[in-house]
Amino acid sequence: MLAEYLTRGVKAGLVAGIVFGLFMAVVANPLVVYADEMNHAAAEVDGGHEHESEAAHAHGDEGDHGHEEGSGHDHEEAGHSHEAGGHTDEGEGTGHADGGEGHHDTAVSMAVNKAVSVISGGLWAILLGGAFFGIAFYFLEPAIPGTGAAKSYAMGLAGFVTVSGAPWLVLPPASPGAQQSLPVSTRIPLYAGMMVAGALTCLLAGYVYNRLRASNGRGAAIVGGILPFGLLAIPAVLAPTNTIQGALSPELRTGMTGLFVFGQVLVWLLLATTHAQLRSSNSSQTDPSAASRGATLSAD
Amino acid sequence: MASTANTVHGRVEQARVELTPIQMAAGLLFVAALGYTLLFMQDPLVHDSMHNFRHAAGIACH
Repeated sequence: MLAEYLTRGVKAGLVAGIVFGLFMAVVANPLVVYADEMNHAAAEVDGGHEHESEAAHAHGDEGDHGHEEGSGHDHEEAGHSHEAGGHTDEGEGTGHADGGEGHHDTAVSMAVNKAVSVISGGLWAILLGGAFFGIAFYFLEPAIPGTGAAKSYAMGLAGFVTVSGAPWLVLPPASPGAQQSLPVSTRIPLYAGMMVAGALTCLLAGYVYNRLRASNGRGAAIVGGILPFGLLAIPAVLAPTNTIQGALSPELRTGMTGLFVFGQVLVWLLLATTHAQLRSSNSSQTDPSAASRGATLSAD
Repeated sequence: MASTANTVHGRVEQARVELTPIQMAAGLLFVAALGYTLLFMQDPLVHDSMHNFRHAAGIACH
């Protein structure tokens, strides 16, 4: 039975993965590349200026960075962003890794980046489908609010809140080249912690809904089920602020963030819709009463 | 299938009956390997290859 659930979840992931892979190829890839190029251009303007004025000691004391294995065009920029001595514009010797993509070296070609990103988009949805709509749904199905397709959509909402929604309250999707004030070593546990908080909130919401549904009716259950999500505001307020800066205009940054949010909403919506369809078709195949009802209806 | 109660606890019990210890161990190992790869494999080749995807998924970590 678990295998059956897992198969259904992976199938839903496959459908969502094909669409998100296309989204990656047609929308996200060109947009991220464009944003990166803008950051490169901005960095070259700044860097070139600085390079001229400080070339004398820029060379010679670089090298304690592990930044050099990048592709050719990055190496030129490395000269200005790397001067490991006391004069770097980042104000810290190894600070470039947290800086913008304009200074970001890459170990792979753009073609590989694009191809792997498209494939990753597909596998991402399959992973979410298998984990949430396969394994988690198998164990939690009796406790998930609603009946029929509503259970799939409730799981989709819970999945989105857990994986993306709750962490984004603290760390919203960053546009390419954005310089973030919090270091990676802080952001990773912060993101993971908010994922845990999101999952616990969803479980609490489901529990409250079921309790109130049995005693106070559907209206009270819906209100009671929504309230726990307000608790996510507490860690969001207490978490350290992550200031974002970059060469892109604020409007473009906002637009890209919105697009990336939309992409993830799309993934979860497709997962839930496909999963609901698969469950529906499966139950009509295996439920003899449903089959006989169908036969009666068609006979009528 | 109908012998266990339709509760979360029932599902856990059902999985324990249906799956052999070897299958459970294999499943846990697979999840651990997947999690390890996703979380800790910060190798530049893998990390940079997924650069565009990480932005699109809202999980930028640079």
